[in-house]
Amino acid sequence: MINLKNVSLVFQGGSVAISNVSAKVKDGEFVYLVGHSGSGKSSFLKLLYKEYLATKGEIEVANIDVTKLPKWKIPLLRRKIGIVTQEPQLLDNRNTFENISFALEIMGSLPEEIDTKTNTLIDLVELNECAYKYPGQLSGGEQTRVSIARALANNPVVLLCDEPTGNLDPELSIQIISLLEKINRAGTTVVMATHDSSIVNRRKKRIIELKDGKIIRDQLNGSYVVR
Amino acid sequence: MGKFSYVLKNTILNMRRSPLLVFATIIAVLVSSFLVFTTLSARSIVQNNTVRWQSGVHVVVFLDDRVTTSAHKQLQESLESYPEVRLVDYFSKSEAKDEFQVLFKDQPELLAEVDFEILPSSLRINLNNPSDYTLIIERLEGNPAVKEIRSSGEAIERLLSLTDTLVISASAFALLIGFAAFILIINTLRLAAYSKRKEIKIMRLLGASSTYIRLPFTLEAVVESLIGTSIAVGFGWAVIEYSKNSVVAESIFDITIADDYLIFLTLSLLLFSLVFGLFASFVGIRKALND
Ligand SMILES: Nc1ncnc2c1ncn2[C@@H]1O[C@H](COP(=O)(O)OP(=O)(O)O)[C@@H](O)[C@H]1O
Ligand SMILES: [Mg+2]
Repeated sequence: MINLKNVSLVFQGGSVAISNVSAKVKDGEFVYLVGHSGSGKSSFLKLLYKEYLATKGEIEVANIDVTKLPKWKIPLLRRKIGIVTQEPQLLDNRNTFENISFALEIMGSLPEEIDTKTNTLIDLVELNECAYKYPGQLSGGEQTRVSIARALANNPVVLLCDEPTGNLDPELSIQIISLLEKINRAGTTVVMATHDSSIVNRRKKRIIELKDGKIIRDQLNGSYVVR
Repeated sequence: MGKFSYVLKNTILNMRRSPLLVFATIIAVLVSSFLVFTTLSARSIVQNNTVRWQSGVHVVVFLDDRVTTSAHKQLQESLESYPEVRLVDYFSKSEAKDEFQVLFKDQPELLAEVDFEILPSSLRINLNNPSDYTLIIERLEGNPAVKEIRSSGEAIERLLSLTDTLVISASAFALLIGFAAFILIINTLRLAAYSKRKEIKIMRLLGASSTYIRLPFTLEAVVESLIGTSIAVGFGWAVIEYSKNSVVAESIFDITIADDYLIFLTLSLLLFSLVFGLFASFVGIRKALND
């Protein structure tokens, strides 16, 4: 599903975000990407959907050679990837239903299709009560769930989440994690970046830990000890 | 189909977000197109009139009836021998009378009062190059058989240079206003893109193609441009129709303009306006979305 070979990302100023990273993620896996703030988690994810261009190395995602992909074909890559950014990035003038259906609308789905699909997604993320509320009326956790539902709208094969629990208290964080695990059980590969060790260690999943842009740990059933 | 409705909906939304700017843009395109349309039409009308002049009579030499007709004949022959002269037509007193009667057939009072004896015979000269009329005037200077020489050459030349000046200055203005329209479109798109920056960011994350993201902006620019030009061309046609029927037209000038030319002008302007809209949106979006 995801394959990185000797990937480095150096920014123009010379700061190194990712340094010679190699990693593979198989179909259907659930991976926590952990590390301190500034360790390169966001950069890692952004490389996967070509928000950043790798300085060196090869990246493959969903059978697409990301490094060689021309700029105009980036949308094709992104249609296979669900992206949940750290800030939920919802449109303030659209309610929950409309924020989710937006993803289907711009892909040219038919109105009936949009309706059924959006309702299914709202069920999945358990936001039935909030379907007609606007982002300003939603809690942080609810906003994150809208963002996750939207990312899932076009049936991505992999879901990339950048600190989706970053702004949430532990209880809400667990709810989001449970949701992502549910999505993962349904067959979607999930990579979630977090710096929150308390959640990760209890879930017994694969952990990739980054430090200064290097992988310092890659364990199945791993644990993450904040040092 | 679903995609197209999104584009259409967003084009309208964008335009409703800044109605004054849209209005200003349309007005600028309108004025610019109108200037181009009317001055080019005017030039075509003047050309039509001068074409007739150029193929017709360039110099009229009124003959002095006190000299003999053989002197008239001699003058005609010498005129015919000049290299710049193509044709010399002798127009007798009776032909002059016939022509006068035709020209003023609507004014019987005048016809009744005129003494046709005062209408002189004349030589009507057609030149190879109409602008050589001055040469003929010089050559006939002081000739006893000549009573008076008339040529509309000078007036026509002045008219031609006047229309050329008109076309050039109007084009300069059209260009200036067109540039203003260009700036307006770029700014409208910039504002629209700025107020939609979050939406655009999300669309990119969701895998919308950049063509698709650009389409509402492109359509907005094209629609504004085409509306402006369409109104301008409509006005232009109306002005020409009005002039055709006006009194001025009958007395001084013949407002003839080929429908083919007007259609050509209309289609060219609309095409140009389409390209203009596309180009302005291209530049505007590049600036606004910086990609
Ligand atoms: N657009 C950028 N330009 C320059 N440096 C950046 C950029 N994005 C990230 N970095 C740098 O790369 C390193 C990794 O950042 P990031 O991937 O955001 O880490 P994390 O998500 O783990 O906090 C940091 O040192 C950060 O300052
Ligand atoms: Mg980050």
